[in-house]
Amino acid sequence: MKILIDRNIYSDECISKCVYSLSEVFQCNRQLDGNTESIELIPTNGFISDEDTKRLFLQKLNDFKLRQIVAEETKDIRTILYAKAFADYEDFNIEEAE
Amino acid sequence: MKMQYHLLPFDFTRIADTEILVNEVGDMMVVPEGTIQRIIDRQMEKDDLYKSLVANFFISEELVPPLLDVYAARLREKKRFMDYFTALHIFVVTLQCNQNCVYCQASSRKEQSEHCTMSNEVMECSVELMFRSPAPVLTMEFQGGEPSLHPKLIRFGIEKAEEKRLSDGREVRYVLCTNCVNLTDEMLDICKQYHVMISTSLDGPAFLHNANRGKTDSYEKVIAGIEKARKALGNEQVSALMTTSVQGLNHPVEIVDEYAKLGFKSLFLRALNPYGLASDNPDWEDYTRKFIDFYKKAFEHILELNKQGVHFAEEFAIIILRKMLTPFSTGFVDLQSPAGIVNSVLVYNYDGYVYASDESRMLAEKGDYAFRLGSVFDRYEDVVYGNKVRDIAEIWANESLAGCSDCALKAYCGADPVRNYSTQGDMYGHRPSSLLCKKNKAIIEYIISLIVERKEEVVPIFKTWLL
Repeated sequence: MKILIDRNIYSDECISKCVYSLSEVFQCNRQLDGNTESIELIPTNGFISDEDTKRLFLQKLNDFKLRQIVAEETKDIRTILYAKAFADYEDFNIEEAE
Repeated sequence: MKMQYHLLPFDFTRIADTEILVNEVGDMMVVPEGTIQRIIDRQMEKDDLYKSLVANFFISEELVPPLLDVYAARLREKKRFMDYFTALHIFVVTLQCNQNCVYCQASSRKEQSEHCTMSNEVMECSVELMFRSPAPVLTMEFQGGEPSLHPKLIRFGIEKAEEKRLSDGREVRYVLCTNCVNLTDEMLDICKQYHVMISTSLDGPAFLHNANRGKTDSYEKVIAGIEKARKALGNEQVSALMTTSVQGLNHPVEIVDEYAKLGFKSLFLRALNPYGLASDNPDWEDYTRKFIDFYKKAFEHILELNKQGVHFAEEFAIIILRKMLTPFSTGFVDLQSPAGIVNSVLVYNYDGYVYASDESRMLAEKGDYAFRLGSVFDRYEDVVYGNKVRDIAEIWANESLAGCSDCALKAYCGADPVRNYSTQGDMYGHRPSSLLCKKNKAIIEYIISLIVERKEEVVPIFKTWLL
């Protein structure tokens, strides 16, 4: 079945991760036309109804979008956290890092 | 009205109609469906859930959380094993073996086989290399084949290690992995003198164990060997491991009961690895599916035993629970990121070559030397910091692997380039089709689902396992 995705809402990264995570279940063909991406999903093994396919894909896609938002918003603090945890010097200056 | 707070890094998954949030140190929160969206949309209310999210480092009221240093210290503690570097050193003393196991993962050979036993020279150089590792506690583990066939060589190795230890000052622990079939007095004297722990193999009741070993009397001999070792060394010095053969998949309850009957306090429900003879198993997908079912049935039986007052634990679950419920890391090499290979384990093979892990040398027995790091006669730096290890290091952290980096369970799991290579043809691997990923995910999700759905029943039991 084909699913149309608005690329203003879901990024390429987000869709790619979703497609990767389902690559054992579906063979996927992607086609971009302007801001709309057409994704054709063909079950690799057995039958999955169109309704189930759509629900599974969109739930995964939304989860990856949520993860992307968290990752983008927390990128800097995550870097600081890892630097503080694993840097060899003890007087890491947080003001400078900001 | 939108609330003002800042997100902190976390991932999530959905289990049993709840959302499971996991932060950077593996702390887990179970929240109602829709919470993640509300967190991101700043639609939280200042209730107990909000306070818990702040207290557990999922959100922060300030741009930089006031307790960031504490959080960083906890993250460092979770990766403490990296500070120690290689702690486990496996010495494959010989490939000779006195059993004929149907699933042998170690490519063992007949007892009379030649040219498959370590020389004294290789043993001595291996000990030298082991002491170059900076780990404060070294574990010298003798494996095979059946290492107890060569007590003199083991004594020689331990004596060399003891010489180094006395001048070096570090602690060295000794482990003998033996089938216990022919534990001689000479071997037990060595174990007693140097406090060698015995790790043996027992696959369950007699009918199952004997079938797996390709012998009719193996079970009786192993039980006698375990008793003999316990008498000589003490119960706590003898542990046993099981491997779930295809036949064993049908007997979860019997296997658990056998271990409890013999007085063991725990059991590691271990799946077959696709190495050695076991790699000939025709259908790994079917095996994996059945193993997950086997694990759950055995685990439920273990919970029942605990509810009846028998203290009996499952070791794989202990590792997961320790990562989930305590601030500490574990020393279990199969569930580490960066991976356990080289970072936590090195293997000195009988022929003088050094491998990244036990599984790596098993691949080598099939003619694949992808994880051969060098020779015991090489410089330590060339072995552990050489080009081969650098290549492996590119893909040995699940934080940077496709399919792992977005997985909420990565804090409890690990990277395994050797398994990826042996089952999928490249070290990077493909998570959606990885059976190891499928198995680990299913078991970890099962343990989480128990905590979510049967908290009152299982958490008190889990706590006793972590003491």
